Amino acid sequence: MDFLFTQLSGFAGAFAGLVADPLTYLYLIGSVFLGITFGALPGLTATLAVTILTGFFGNKIPLDYSLIALLGAYVGAIYGGSYPSILLNIPGTAASAATAMDGYPLAKAGRGGEALGLTTTASFIGTLIGTLALLIFVWVLLLISQNIASPEKALLALFGILLSGTLMSEDLVIKGWIAGLIGLAMAMVGLDPLLSEPRYTFGWSYMMSGFQVVPVLMGAFAIPQIIDGMRHADPGQLLALKGRIVPSLSALRRYLPTIGRSGVIGTGVGALPGVGADVAGWVSYGVGKTVSTEGHKFGKGSLDGLLSSETANNACIGGALIPLLVLGIPGSPPAAALMGAFKINNVIPGPTIDPEIILRVVAILVLASFTMFLMGLFTARIFIRILRIPKTVFLPVVMVLTTLGSFSVGGGINDLYLMLGVGFVAYFMHLLRYPIAPLVIGVILGGLFDETFRRSLLISDGDLSVFVSRPGATILLALNIALILAQIPAIKRQFSRLRRKTA
Amino acid sequence: MDDTTTLRARDFWSALVLLALSLFFLWRTSFIPLFGANRAGVSGADWYNSAAIVPFGIFGALLVLSLVLLTISIRSGGARYALTAAGIGWNGAEAWRFGTLALILFFYIAGLVPRVDFILSSGLLITALIFGYHGGHPRRMILATGAVGLPGLYAMAMHLPQSEWKAHDDDIVTLAAWLLLTLWALAFHHTDRVVRVIPWIAVLAPLILVCAMAFGFRQNVPNRGGLIFSQIEYHYYVTLRPLWRR
Repeated sequence: MDFLFTQLSGFAGAFAGLVADPLTYLYLIGSVFLGITFGALPGLTATLAVTILTGFFGNKIPLDYSLIALLGAYVGAIYGGSYPSILLNIPGTAASAATAMDGYPLAKAGRGGEALGLTTTASFIGTLIGTLALLIFVWVLLLISQNIASPEKALLALFGILLSGTLMSEDLVIKGWIAGLIGLAMAMVGLDPLLSEPRYTFGWSYMMSGFQVVPVLMGAFAIPQIIDGMRHADPGQLLALKGRIVPSLSALRRYLPTIGRSGVIGTGVGALPGVGADVAGWVSYGVGKTVSTEGHKFGKGSLDGLLSSETANNACIGGALIPLLVLGIPGSPPAAALMGAFKINNVIPGPTIDPEIILRVVAILVLASFTMFLMGLFTARIFIRILRIPKTVFLPVVMVLTTLGSFSVGGGINDLYLMLGVGFVAYFMHLLRYPIAPLVIGVILGGLFDETFRRSLLISDGDLSVFVSRPGATILLALNIALILAQIPAIKRQFSRLRRKTA
Repeated sequence: MDDTTTLRARDFWSALVLLALSLFFLWRTSFIPLFGANRAGVSGADWYNSAAIVPFGIFGALLVLSLVLLTISIRSGGARYALTAAGIGWNGAEAWRFGTLALILFFYIAGLVPRVDFILSSGLLITALIFGYHGGHPRRMILATGAVGLPGLYAMAMHLPQSEWKAHDDDIVTLAAWLLLTLWALAFHHTDRVVRVIPWIAVLAPLILVCAMAFGFRQNVPNRGGLIFSQIEYHYYVTLRPLWRR
């Protein structure tokens, strides 16, 4: 009880500090508006919103304002994806893909206003559930993580890359692993962290410092979106928004169990390293279909289905920040972009992070979710107008913004060449259905993996048993091996045979 | 042909590329000392501390996975369809759209941004992309590519080394290309509502973004000495700032 009281009083202090600063509102309103706009425009994603703002603000404004802008945009963009899902049948972000299944039929039936109002409320409650989990669990995990040594860190980084590769693959799982390995390989470029041995620099002095995170983020997330958006013309017919947006209390009370369950699922999925809001949305949708009394209506215009995915994808935000802040391992692609922002501000997320920063992150998330809620309910019609802007009009401006952001953080033209190169590679990978998120997570965690893996061996004098002699390391090694083995067809077949026998 | 067969045919090619890349980088990794070496008279580390150990693991794993992908692709008929249109991927229109877009982005990043005023180069890019790709007209795409490509090529050909990036003749060429493209778009497509909006977006977007970045957030922006931005910067510090500093 004391623990909770201390947490809440710490949070109240951080919250009061932010509320008292008038600049907070400026950044908050601007970033949430921008976030919802990014989410609402098909072709722009939450990851892109956070990435571009990372480049735009860089390290030239105080960290607090930078965090307000980035987290505000993150919360807004995940929620904003519901607009085109409901009114256009096109998910604004991958996280809203499940939302379109029920949202569009509801809008077609003239219940668009009701759907949007409940979605807004569910997204708000979902974000708060995730934030509460962040406030409570981050401290427990921080205490545990302080006992984590190099072998566990190396295996955890590997687990994050493998898991994101496994869960983010649309096609074959090995494509996700290959993307992760390409990211890891990119992280090997430059001077190695222990001996300062140059690797794969090919005599180019720029390469000595390795691939910078922001140009890689911009290239991997922005360029493929821009090329893809420009190549494909705008489809879809925007439906008119009918009905009252502010939801009734009775409807809210009716769907509260769904919202609560989906909030918990979203937070849990978000806390898995490398897994994003899209997976959270689908998992929660699947669970909802199984346990809901109106499961048979899912996909045909069920509010239960709509709220299952929409609550979970917003709850994922708080969950995704847990591994980021505790272990320095991003829980989702936008969290990976957020890690880039931390890095350029010289804040190293992980066991050594300043606890004050965590409290401020929690306070910002609460403020951002309130702002999103109010904007969603009372200014929804503005965002619907924004939906009418064709992709071919706003994507060129995004290209300029991306270029400017990438240049400003690195301060060099070489960063732009890197961004373009990574962008074209990522675009072809996207065409061949390789997921991009594991690549970025590989780049971000590659240095940590390399350093901690070799440090473990150095301490043990090359004795590989260091990875099995500590309980934490043994569990993580077993998880890594299980994750790989579970994808081998022969083992998969054996498992399903065993399951059939036991059934 | 179904989607999976098409995808496996493309996987065949990507597996081959990955195979070649992993072999190349395994060979390059062999240049990094593995079993100890002398550096400036100091004895190097053992195998387990070598800077090559993790890269060997990564590229070894990449080699294995690319072989697995190749096997999956061949077993699913990928090799059989690899040289057909499905395996190569695009039809002519798609290839054209991507090719022109890639050229525009290349000339913008590699040619214009380092050498030409950012407001001018970005204004030209926005005009070219919106005019060229809104509605998917192939002739407009060619015109857009030419409009960005020509000043890009000029800038690269005339001022390739960094020591010459401050020259302003390429700014003039870019401005001329931008004006001509805008006039062309307005003269022949003025009935299109999007075309009428282009000049506003092309002027205001880069102008606001660069000024916000440079003066609001005090970030670095490309080509500070460019034709237009140098004037804005001069008047900001010499004419405007003293007004509120007084």
